[in-house]
Amino acid sequence: MLSRVAASFFWLSRYIERSDGILRMLKINYASSQDAVREFTWEPVIRIYSGVDDELTSKLHNDSRAVLSYMVSGRNNPNSITNMITLARENARSVQEHITRDLWQCLNEYYHCVKDPSINQRLMEDDPISVLDVLIKQIMLYYGTAEISMERGQGRSFMNIGKYLERSIQAVDILDVKFGSVNANPDLLTDTTYWKHLLQSLGGYELYLKTYRDGIEAQNVMELVILNDDFPRSVIYSANNIHRYYDRLKNESHLSNHRNIAFQIGKLQSFIQYSSAQSIRQVGLHQFLTQIRQDLFAIGTSMNEHYFANY
Amino acid sequence: MYKSAHFNDYNAIKGVWDEMYSENSTIRDHYQKVISYLSNESTDNLNKKEELARRLFMTQGITFTVYNSGEGIEKIFPFDIIPRIITAPEWKLVERGIKQRLTALNLFLKDVYHNQFIIKDGIVPIDVIYSCPHFLREMYKLDVPYDIYVHIAGIDLIRDEKGTFYVLEDNLRTPSGVSYMLENREITKRLFPDLLPQCNVRSVTEYPTILYKNLMALSPRRISNPTVVLLSPGIYNSAYFEHTTLARLMGVELVEGRDLVVNNHKVYMKTTTGLQQVDVIYRRVDDDFLDPLVFNPKSVLGVAGLMSAYRKGNVAIVNAIGNGVADDKAIYSYVPEMIKYYLNEEPILKNVPTYQLRNDDEREYTFANINTMVVKKTNESGGYGMLMGHAASEQEIDDYKKEILKEPRNFIAQPTISLSAAPCYLQGALQPRRIDLRPYALCGPDGIEIVPGGLTRVALKEGSLVVNSSQGGGSKDTWVLM
Amino acid sequence: MPEFKIQHITRYTYEGLVRDSANQIILYPITDVAQEVLKHDLTITGNPVVDTHIDYYGNQVGSFTYLEKHSRLVINSEVLVVTHPKELPADDIAADEQWQMLASVQFIVPYIDFLKPEYFESLPELITTIESERLQGETPYQTALRFAGYIYKNIKYLPGVTTVESTLDEVWKLKAGVCQDFAHLFIQILRLLKIPARYVSGYICPNHNGMRGEGATHAWAEVFIPNYGWIGIDPTNNCVANETHVRLAVGRNFSDCSPVKGVYKGNSGHMLEVKVSVEYKGLPSSEPENLIPTNQFIQTIESEPFTTNSYRRYQEIMLMQQQQQQQ
Repeated sequence: MLSRVAASFFWLSRYIERSDGILRMLKINYASSQDAVREFTWEPVIRIYSGVDDELTSKLHNDSRAVLSYMVSGRNNPNSITNMITLARENARSVQEHITRDLWQCLNEYYHCVKDPSINQRLMEDDPISVLDVLIKQIMLYYGTAEISMERGQGRSFMNIGKYLERSIQAVDILDVKFGSVNANPDLLTDTTYWKHLLQSLGGYELYLKTYRDGIEAQNVMELVILNDDFPRSVIYSANNIHRYYDRLKNESHLSNHRNIAFQIGKLQSFIQYSSAQSIRQVGLHQFLTQIRQDLFAIGTSMNEHYFANY
Repeated sequence: MYKSAHFNDYNAIKGVWDEMYSENSTIRDHYQKVISYLSNESTDNLNKKEELARRLFMTQGITFTVYNSGEGIEKIFPFDIIPRIITAPEWKLVERGIKQRLTALNLFLKDVYHNQFIIKDGIVPIDVIYSCPHFLREMYKLDVPYDIYVHIAGIDLIRDEKGTFYVLEDNLRTPSGVSYMLENREITKRLFPDLLPQCNVRSVTEYPTILYKNLMALSPRRISNPTVVLLSPGIYNSAYFEHTTLARLMGVELVEGRDLVVNNHKVYMKTTTGLQQVDVIYRRVDDDFLDPLVFNPKSVLGVAGLMSAYRKGNVAIVNAIGNGVADDKAIYSYVPEMIKYYLNEEPILKNVPTYQLRNDDEREYTFANINTMVVKKTNESGGYGMLMGHAASEQEIDDYKKEILKEPRNFIAQPTISLSAAPCYLQGALQPRRIDLRPYALCGPDGIEIVPGGLTRVALKEGSLVVNSSQGGGSKDTWVLM
Repeated sequence: MPEFKIQHITRYTYEGLVRDSANQIILYPITDVAQEVLKHDLTITGNPVVDTHIDYYGNQVGSFTYLEKHSRLVINSEVLVVTHPKELPADDIAADEQWQMLASVQFIVPYIDFLKPEYFESLPELITTIESERLQGETPYQTALRFAGYIYKNIKYLPGVTTVESTLDEVWKLKAGVCQDFAHLFIQILRLLKIPARYVSGYICPNHNGMRGEGATHAWAEVFIPNYGWIGIDPTNNCVANETHVRLAVGRNFSDCSPVKGVYKGNSGHMLEVKVSVEYKGLPSSEPENLIPTNQFIQTIESEPFTTNSYRRYQEIMLMQQQQQQQ
């Protein structure tokens, strides 16, 4: 497979996965902004997806509609859904003859949908949730189409590695920001709505309720999001899948390269696997997450070096 | 009279050859079946078909993107649902004419880059050739496989008021549009089920198969599965859709310049498992951008060192480099002479009379009669840089004349030819619009093959004579009958 | 029969690691009655296979690639050349007749390639200058020498004010430049006078006579004289280029002859140094000078380390080029 094609598969997936994460995050946060019980701030959301940017934060005035518009169709926001879907589509376009027609059409339609000016208009004037739902549904459609139509070859492995790498990075970032806010505002630690929203935005609320019977506690939230094998957005679940799909590339790789990256992935996997809520608390969550983030980035860099950077 | 209103008011344009209507306002035989099929459809139904066609183009991404200040606007090449029909005898003439012309053009390219007999014998003036920017001295004495320079040609044909075919332009570098020939047919199958077999329309689906066969035959390495790639400028190119379509239909890798590298005068593509040698490149990148080491040093679309690999015969490039000297509009007027010179035959297809503005008398004549002339730049295509004398203002003409006087060699003039018209379905009614025809000829070691069909471009604006997509043109499915 | 040992070193030093380098060299002295090559040693970093061919103008051109990551590329060409002085034109045919002879070759290969002046903004001004400087009744040879003298007098030899990409406009306005610019302007004037003129790249071996153009590659022009052939004239030194000028290549312009050019991928920063030193048979060698940093002969395809997405980094530049018109 051409290196550029492999890179496109990888990035196509990362863009889609990131879009999905943002959309879910926006939906839940918007909903919680409607609970006027307490002061609501968009700052963590902006921080997760745009970095620390005080100027931007103050420009958006914590105005929900302005934030949504910026995050969904902001032209100057590289992480806006419009920009990311455009990039996803451009990557798909450059590998058009390697993906199924169905998948291409699905992305193409998504692109036309998100480019439609009415999206922004409805975000500003209508019920934003229903707009976000439309956009989220498109991604589910994409994942379904990819699942049933893509051949089980190299291309799909690169796609899935990209997807799970992105997903784990997001989970790490969200945890880091959300737990970080607790330092500044210790009251949050016992604020069940705060944790509930976090779980909802990751789609893990129901699983949490089934797993932990005694109410919402920050420690348990952390455990679920990092260590739960069954939770599809947990860090360990993603790491396992990176391992799984990377393993499939074995026959299509230089042996020594493959061994090196496989080692990196395996090391990360065990690092998480052999951690517990308690051991994480001992090292400190922030430090633990920083380590994982570094390892994930290192895997991305290695993939780039050995598979993509060749052109 | 027909059942549906949309056929009642068709007014053929006076003094123009109408593909559907004969002189005495009766429908020509070869349009009968289609017209009777269509007349059983309600206007409503036809509108729905039109909408369906538009949607099919859009969702399949058969679009090109126009970039404006960083913002991409997706456009489809407008499609008219009424097919353009060519009879078997008409096609026979076109086919023979193009084969003859292409044979001569290939011989010309071989000659001009080797012995230059045609220059020595004074058939084509040397300065026309040596002043052509596409005459590449890098190609001098460079041998290409089977002496084939033009593997893929798109020859633009038009018909005058008597229905006579003329060649308007030869496209011998990177002719585009063939995917529309293929896609338009696919869409017609959906729009008018069962109509194609009823009308005995010849199939065009062989095109990618023939092209692939020809490409494989060019491999310098005599191995069973040579690597053939299609080199595209990339996703921002207006013809990118075509590049992916052809790559998919032939099952070859679509590459960009950055996917390729030259090592020790061989071309390789960069894969996840290392370098893989490339044998044949069907390139859709212009000559100037192919090799930054030899041509435009600022090019990021090409492959540095490609020319050295080509020179050594380690890779085949399709079409050959340097073909622009044969489809330059100033050279065009010498093609009938070339046919006589190389083949000792009379040209089957006529040329449009062409005035070389580098010659003082021809320039003066053109200036005196500019209202009946079309003036074109010799090295532009796609309908850019043209002056339509009958439609231009005094000011435009004056400005254009100044432009001509700067570098007269770069301009030619032709009398305005009244293109033939064909019925189009517009705003719920059939209306005549001007059309041309671009058949695609494929030249391989076994000879020249032309898939029965082509791209019919149509000037959708009423009264317009310009069919180029950049100037409001659209296209039609093109039927060649058995 | 002067004998020269010429060492020509070209050294690229890159800021970071680069790869996929493809290069073209025109470093092979022309061999003909006036020039013999006794020995030529070429050493290049990485020992690539250099393939040579003869180009349209008859020059020997080498090309090679170097894919592995590297931070420097040195091309060392050592050549032992013997030159033979050429007799100067007798120039004894009537001027009119000579001009007519020139008119009759203008549509003949190879002269046709060396007669087209280029367009530049100050062209009308240059034409006026030519008209007022030119002496009616002089032969083409005399005219060529006259204008070599004109350039020598009116253009300042100032290294560093121009680059290889400088246009005639810039040179004409600055009234200054180096050998390339002198040759460029000279050729343009000759072509306007309808005298075939071609660009020559090579070395000057003046044996400490203080001529301009030492230490680097030199450039001058060859002029076609009826009943004689091509004669080298060096406007930078206002002399006929004879046995002290060693020719590497001829062409229409600089870019047909550029001695070394290359393309690579990697960080864009690089430094190019060129040194030419000449040893004379039986004489001590000229002091090896420091490498002269120049800013020449190289184009870079910028490509940053892969950080965000494969598309973003190329987007801007590609957008422009990719939209090239398809026929």
